[in-house]
Amino acid sequence: MKHELGMSLAALAVGLMTSVIPAKADFWSDAGAKYKGVTLHGVTESTPPSNYIKDVLAPAFEKSTGIKVEIETTSWDQMYDKAIKDMEAKTGIYDMVYIEQDIIYAYLARDFLVDITKSLKDDPSLKAPVYDETHFTTFANYFKNGDGDLFGIPMEAFIKLYLYRTDLFNDAAVKEAFKKETGKDLVPAKTHEEYTQIAEFFTKWGKDNSKELWGTTAQAHTGHPASWYEFFESVAPTFGVYNWGIDASKNYAASVANGGAMNSDKAKAALKYWLHLRDIAPPESQASTWTEVATTFAAGRAAQGLVYGENAAWIASDAEKSKVVGNVGVALPPVEPGVMEDAESGKGYIGYYDGGAFGLPVTSKNKEAALLFLQYIGQDSVQGDWAVAAPRITNTATYDDPKVIEMDKKLNGYYTMLKNDGKLFAGAPPYPFHAQVREATAPIFYKILLGEVSSDDGLDQMAAAAEAELKNLGYRK
Amino acid sequence: MLAPTIAILGIFGIVPFLYVLYVAFHQWNPFGANPYMIYNGAGNFRRLVFDSEFLTSIAFTLKFAFFAVFSEVILGYLLAQLFMREFPGRAFFRTIHTLPLIVAPIVVGSVWRLMTTPSIGIIPYLLKSWFGYDLNIGRDATMAFALTVIMDIWHWTPLVTLTLLAALVSLPKEPFEQAQIDGANRWQIFWHVTLPMIRPAILATVFIRLMDALRTVDEVWMLTGGGPGAATRYLGLHIWKIVFPKTDYGYGSATSIIVLYLTLVMCWLLYVALVARRGQRRTP
Repeated sequence: MKHELGMSLAALAVGLMTSVIPAKADFWSDAGAKYKGVTLHGVTESTPPSNYIKDVLAPAFEKSTGIKVEIETTSWDQMYDKAIKDMEAKTGIYDMVYIEQDIIYAYLARDFLVDITKSLKDDPSLKAPVYDETHFTTFANYFKNGDGDLFGIPMEAFIKLYLYRTDLFNDAAVKEAFKKETGKDLVPAKTHEEYTQIAEFFTKWGKDNSKELWGTTAQAHTGHPASWYEFFESVAPTFGVYNWGIDASKNYAASVANGGAMNSDKAKAALKYWLHLRDIAPPESQASTWTEVATTFAAGRAAQGLVYGENAAWIASDAEKSKVVGNVGVALPPVEPGVMEDAESGKGYIGYYDGGAFGLPVTSKNKEAALLFLQYIGQDSVQGDWAVAAPRITNTATYDDPKVIEMDKKLNGYYTMLKNDGKLFAGAPPYPFHAQVREATAPIFYKILLGEVSSDDGLDQMAAAAEAELKNLGYRK
Repeated sequence: MLAPTIAILGIFGIVPFLYVLYVAFHQWNPFGANPYMIYNGAGNFRRLVFDSEFLTSIAFTLKFAFFAVFSEVILGYLLAQLFMREFPGRAFFRTIHTLPLIVAPIVVGSVWRLMTTPSIGIIPYLLKSWFGYDLNIGRDATMAFALTVIMDIWHWTPLVTLTLLAALVSLPKEPFEQAQIDGANRWQIFWHVTLPMIRPAILATVFIRLMDALRTVDEVWMLTGGGPGAATRYLGLHIWKIVFPKTDYGYGSATSIIVLYLTLVMCWLLYVALVARRGQRRTP
């Protein structure tokens, strides 16, 4: 009886205490209370990872903090246009801007961005206990300054990889036909010669069998920078031409005569190789950007191709959008002898490590609230579902998430490749003049694609145009 | 009374123009080694004279504007004449033919891109099935140019039709009755009565469409990206590429000023050719 009475009194006491003492809320609601009613505005490219922020993370953050987040997803060009104009004119419309890895150096040079590391150190009350910069993969290094301070929260990171159709590569009849034609086994290519042979075989095989099938994709738009990027960031490096063939240590030389490599023999061989692939790719290739390349592969029109990793998940798993679900294999891009060794030793790389981060413009009017949101999207706990919805991994712990491990199986080891071989890929070179040099040389590149100028002469002209632009910009003395 | 109008005109018209004029005399690329404005005198204008891309762009733009505006005026007039007549469903067709006007240019470009993408679009498919013609606007500069013109015609002919229809509806009947009594045939009535009476409406429409055609950007950007090569890199798109991706604000401003000047000169020449000279001829 005494025991029961004691228990009842204890329960009453606990009940009274919990009703009198205010509940201790979590960090997000406590920190967000000060900024309740604030609306943050962000601008980003319309990609699967960005759409996840807009559709899932922003509403979840608003629920936790009371801070509203409006994310504007738009085209790649518009995204830069809007963000740069806002920061240049200091209008302060945006509290978050997408920073693609290749623009960060330009933004840092202009002091457009808030030092996130320093800001959180200066005001510890804003620092979320679940946020830790050291949890990011090494991709975060692209968004740091010389002192190691972070200027953008990585939100997407993927490699441009070699996709191939496992159903075709494993088909006994196809394998036999390939063996008969080439004397070799049909396996994913490791060299350019092998890749070309497979591409030629499948284009011919598609034609002979009246199938809408070609041997390779080609991101070869004749009026859009996507083609320029495919060559300089995905193809030329596999021939040993790194950093667009521009050598910053040699007074930003682009031409061989001045110490650059944009018009080197390797670059010329790379361009000839790629132009041949373009010629045996599906007819839409000459009007294809990165989006159409993914669509072409998903439509089952190419046996293999270099495809941006951001599209790998839906190509491999979304039956509503893709005809090749369950039939997608991943491999490292084919390379010339010596390039893999360069990549392993850190001297070079075998392809493009693409990605971006969310940065906080110094012109933002809601810096503190924006810092909370940036930490929210950078915490480990949101990464697993995000990686499944869009194949990007920015935090090391995400690789061990059971959902990600499961997804990795569907993608035939894409995440494993990202984890183990990501170091072989590299982002864009650390130049603050990306768009400027690209736009100065792209018109000549389009002429090459149209056959108005030969590839050798065109690359010579491009190297000269790049140096002239760099001189005009004041980098080349 | 005029103060609010003048203030609005000043803020949104004159001040930005003066700023562009000011920037045009500077070298200014925010991503250059020196990101600040440096006075450059007439350097940007001098550079324009030797810029082959700019000169090519002018030539393509003039060609585009000529074919697009000329076709729109002819087609617009024929449609306006058609809508003047009584036929079943006239009201329905009058309404439906204006639908392209309410579609945003960027959407028009996207739709046409979808329709013309090789292997995917309906137009290459039909051309291949019916005529065995292989349409590839990523490769064929002439077809890419033609498609930008056709897209512009599809989008803007309804505007011309509406303007000319309004002009035709408002014409008095007497001159036409008089001409018929005098024994004039259809062509003579058109040439000597209709055309002179709707000339102001035609002129206004041509001016509006010409100015629009000279600065077209979004539709063409979506459809061809300015390609293949530079075949559809019209002036508006050319300036956009200089100012936004390349961030060469000084040079872009100088280009804009020259294009504005060219537009004014062209409109003036057109005005002189179609109105002023005729007015002089009538003077005793």
